[in-house]
Amino acid sequence: MLTAILEHSSLFLQQLVNGITLGSIYALIAVGYTMVYGVIQLINFAHGEIYMLGAFISFSLLTGLFGVGLPFWLAVLVAVLVCALAGVLLDIVAYRPLRRAPRLAALITAIGMSIFLQNLALLIWGAQIKSFPRNLIPAFFNEPALQFGDVVVSWLQVIILLTAIFLMLALQLIVHYTRLGRAMRAIAQDKTAASLMGVNVDRVVSYTFALGSGLGGVAGILVALYYNAVYPTMGYFAGIKAFAAAVLGGIGSIPGAILGGGILGLAEVFGGGYISSSYSDGIAYAVMILVILVKPNGLFGRQLRDKA
Amino acid sequence: MHLDDRLFSEKKFYLPLLAAVLILPWLPMGIAGPYVLRVATLTLVYMVLALGLNVVPGFTGLLDLGYVGFFGLGAYTAGLLTVHYQWSIWLVLPLAALNGALWGVLRGAPTLRLSDDYFAIVTFGFSELIILVIRNELWLTKGPMGVPGIARPDFFGHVLNQPWQNFYLILFLLLVVLWVVLRIRSSRLGRAWFAVREDEIAAECVGVNVANYKIIAFALSAAIGALAGAFYARWFRFIHPDMFKFWESILILCLIVLGGMGSVTGALLGALILIPLTEVLRIVLPAELSNARYLLFGLLIVCMMRWRPAGLLPVQKE
Repeated sequence: MLTAILEHSSLFLQQLVNGITLGSIYALIAVGYTMVYGVIQLINFAHGEIYMLGAFISFSLLTGLFGVGLPFWLAVLVAVLVCALAGVLLDIVAYRPLRRAPRLAALITAIGMSIFLQNLALLIWGAQIKSFPRNLIPAFFNEPALQFGDVVVSWLQVIILLTAIFLMLALQLIVHYTRLGRAMRAIAQDKTAASLMGVNVDRVVSYTFALGSGLGGVAGILVALYYNAVYPTMGYFAGIKAFAAAVLGGIGSIPGAILGGGILGLAEVFGGGYISSSYSDGIAYAVMILVILVKPNGLFGRQLRDKA
Repeated sequence: MHLDDRLFSEKKFYLPLLAAVLILPWLPMGIAGPYVLRVATLTLVYMVLALGLNVVPGFTGLLDLGYVGFFGLGAYTAGLLTVHYQWSIWLVLPLAALNGALWGVLRGAPTLRLSDDYFAIVTFGFSELIILVIRNELWLTKGPMGVPGIARPDFFGHVLNQPWQNFYLILFLLLVVLWVVLRIRSSRLGRAWFAVREDEIAAECVGVNVANYKIIAFALSAAIGALAGAFYARWFRFIHPDMFKFWESILILCLIVLGGMGSVTGALLGALILIPLTEVLRIVLPAELSNARYLLFGLLIVCMMRWRPAGLLPVQKE
């Protein structure tokens, strides 16, 4: 009896650890959706593809697919920078020309870009799942950092959690205590008034895309390491789940995105472990629909702009 | 006057078109014949889908990102009824359409107050849930094994085995759907939808019952999608959850974006251009390139929105 309970609780604890890991990754992606929505009221469907790009670029740089093999940490850094740049380019090329167009046009463009980038990755890297060669990533990643009985926390999980916490704190500091952050918040409140006060709206939006996409890229790399798998459609599923997390937390709210990501990660792991593994993807869809229908502002969201 | 209004009312438009389509199966095409006819049939299926999808984003201005859900729902309704009960297609088609309409209303009713992008997200999530259920409820749908051996369509006891017979069947369905859509478009109902599309609040103020009219649009659109799915299941004789992925929704959306949202002839034109093109690309390109052919659709959507948001056959603003 006692051993059964112990075994059960260790399974529970292991699931908890896995759920928190997954949740912190969702939170990193969700923040990108929420920041962009906050400043230009656009659901950036292509954000999941930026995350996928982060995984692919770090993989390619590491394995020397493009002719240069970089050491691990440098490859990660370059990949994150490329993602940030890709986000800025995405905005300038696809979304900026449509700022004054009907919202539906920008939304459809975002979907188009998502499809385009995903298939571009398919074209460049192929459909096959790629994994990182063991000898090229730091060896301690998969070693246990902490161990309580049967519950194992790997170094990679610790790194994921610490990275997520660190980046979220940094982001909060940027948003609340820098000129850029103030400009972002001003634009979120009233774009016209902000530009009348001398805020360079286009530049701030670019920075927003850079920040959000950089975080997305980090998440992509972490996930690729965690599951040791890189493939073109990875951004699609993660993107939906992170978007659901952003909606749950209240789109436009950064703390909301963090909380939403955590809840969704836990729900997915526990739902998959205790209810039905074949429906674990469905949890994200169901949460998304229910929140939108019942409490469209989410947990922390401000009042959504009504039908224009 | 827009082409939509002239399509059925002026003989010089519809007679040559109809004649061209009717003689298609009898053109001398040699060994390419069966293939050309297959692509032509598929194109007509997508024309029906494009007309159906067009009702929601085109007429009422709400973006539907999950249309493939109704296509799949109709295909599975028809496929399962046929496999289990061997019913005639003339019974199965209306039942599938009815089931589609039912779920269209169930999906639509709670979304009435939502803003446009949230509506799009709900439609997307809903269709993914439909496909997830199809994939996982093995007792009902056999899940990832698919449903093979669905009987071909029938006509007064005769089985429609020949490709040209199936071609005429979907052509008939297309004409029915086209007639319904064009009639509704120029009726009180259609005008109410356009009013909702242009300005929902203003429409409400002049006494348009926005909720009712939206629900009717959802039901009609879903019914048409399910109808196309039902024919598809009986024609293709095999259905599988992977046939109804998110991409399909985007492809159908692409058809009406190209043709011009809200334009009936535009929806037809979009399918006429893109579906044969897809099939040609599948043959011409090597396998690894043709897997990525959706790249072109993504690019097409982006470019259309940038430079020609109203499509090739834009609906004139009245």
